[in-house]
Amino acid sequence: MSVNKDRPHVFLIPEDDANRQIANGFRLEFGNRQFHVEPVAGGWREVLLRFSSDHVNEMSRYPERLMILLLDFDRKFERRDEAKGHIPDQLMDRVFVLGVWNEPEDFKHANLGSLETIGRRLARDCRDNTKEVWRHEFLGHNAEELARLCGRMRAIQ
Amino acid sequence: MIRRLYVHNFRCLENFELLLREPSALLIGKNGSGKTTVSLALELLQKIARGTNHVRELIKPSDFTRQHTDVPVRFEIEIEIKSDIYEYVVAFELPEGSKELRVLDEKLVVNGKPVYTRQLAEVHLAGMGRQPEGGFRIDWHLVALTVVQEQTERDPLYIFKQRLARVLILRPVPSLITGDSEGETAWPNDKVTDLGAWLSDLLGYAPGAYVAMEKYLRQVMPDLLDIKNERVGRDAKSIRVQFSRDQGILSLPFSVLSDGEKCYLICATAIAANEGYGPQICFWDEPDNYLAMDEVGDFILALRKAFEAGGQFIATSHNPEAVRRFSDENTFFLSRKSHLEPTIVRRLEDLNIKGDLIGALLRGDVEP
Repeated sequence: MSVNKDRPHVFLIPEDDANRQIANGFRLEFGNRQFHVEPVAGGWREVLLRFSSDHVNEMSRYPERLMILLLDFDRKFERRDEAKGHIPDQLMDRVFVLGVWNEPEDFKHANLGSLETIGRRLARDCRDNTKEVWRHEFLGHNAEELARLCGRMRAIQ
Repeated sequence: MIRRLYVHNFRCLENFELLLREPSALLIGKNGSGKTTVSLALELLQKIARGTNHVRELIKPSDFTRQHTDVPVRFEIEIEIKSDIYEYVVAFELPEGSKELRVLDEKLVVNGKPVYTRQLAEVHLAGMGRQPEGGFRIDWHLVALTVVQEQTERDPLYIFKQRLARVLILRPVPSLITGDSEGETAWPNDKVTDLGAWLSDLLGYAPGAYVAMEKYLRQVMPDLLDIKNERVGRDAKSIRVQFSRDQGILSLPFSVLSDGEKCYLICATAIAANEGYGPQICFWDEPDNYLAMDEVGDFILALRKAFEAGGQFIATSHNPEAVRRFSDENTFFLSRKSHLEPTIVRRLEDLNIKGDLIGALLRGDVEP
């Protein structure tokens, strides 16, 4: 991690190793040092704990920091609300809760390529303002968060 | 990019096959598992393409796996260049009672069609274009690849040799790199002690490559002003790095940079070489050495990104942050049960590791 903290930058906390690989592809395609992927948290609750313990104060110190919490929804709509409950009001516009509807392993049968490839394609969608992969049934529930995130990501690129 | 590397009876590699389908790859595994030996096998092939053709300068009897000198040592490499598949094979044997190896067989094949084949001293030229079929005899102790004459720069033999000769095998030792140079080279040595000569050749051949270099370096050293490879004698040059800030300009000789900063410059030169010379294959043994913890990930990703269009970046590493910047389809786990057994290689996606990869590696729970 060697982002310029005075300029807009993105941190991402992946829930598990599969999400880490998606993040790798996203970061490769993004091609910018202003995107940092944290080590795997080891569970969706751990993502939230890590965010609360390590990042809330830091985000207050660094107003240019955006945060992506990348977790599995395990087919639960309420997961996003639960995650949002951990985000202080003043940071709400800079934190984004994204993830696969069930778990990334489901992609293995979706014919979209490896997890890293999917990450690359998601980044391209974000950059080009398209929804080729984001509209996939495993990801469609992210639409609202995505609309908030991608505009700000394009500004960083 | 390299599609396949096959090595048999060379040090710890027996019937070893590395199948690559990605423009970047990471080799991981415990110490002694064979990661560096893979780079040595590739280096042997690179040396051949660079013109070292006497067998005794390439391989020694001690390189046979556990003194199995009755079995040939075999190297096979498949490289894809602009959608064409080049396959080069060379095998060495040690005749009974001899202390010196010789070539047993050799061939270069493009898209399944032979350019030449060789059995012991007999070389058979397949005939391509206007070049008629033919043959000649060669000293058994010489590799034919550098002896067979190419006709033009479009000759498959020329194209293959150029690509293989330009393979970068990097094991930099920053303390040995002074930045001073005499002459030029497109083929840096593995320790990169000839960085200055490499830079001279690259910027002479493709001055525009400096832009790629500077772009990368400004990201890791924001106060960088420029890099100069100044003439300090009739044939001698010395690299100086200039930094600027509000307070003014500071010009430093390369030799006083930190080890990590020297690695930035090597990385920048490798990235620029891939642009300037055209797509290259880069094998970097432990690229995370000498780097600050917070730089490792970006360093790896910059190399992966730079070499993905036509080139290839292959690394070995023990560093968790470097390992994290690759994925299951491009990470290979090498292992050996003991020093008496050969290296086994498995793609990570075939190992079905549950949970955190780094944790599994730290616990020693990853098994082929």
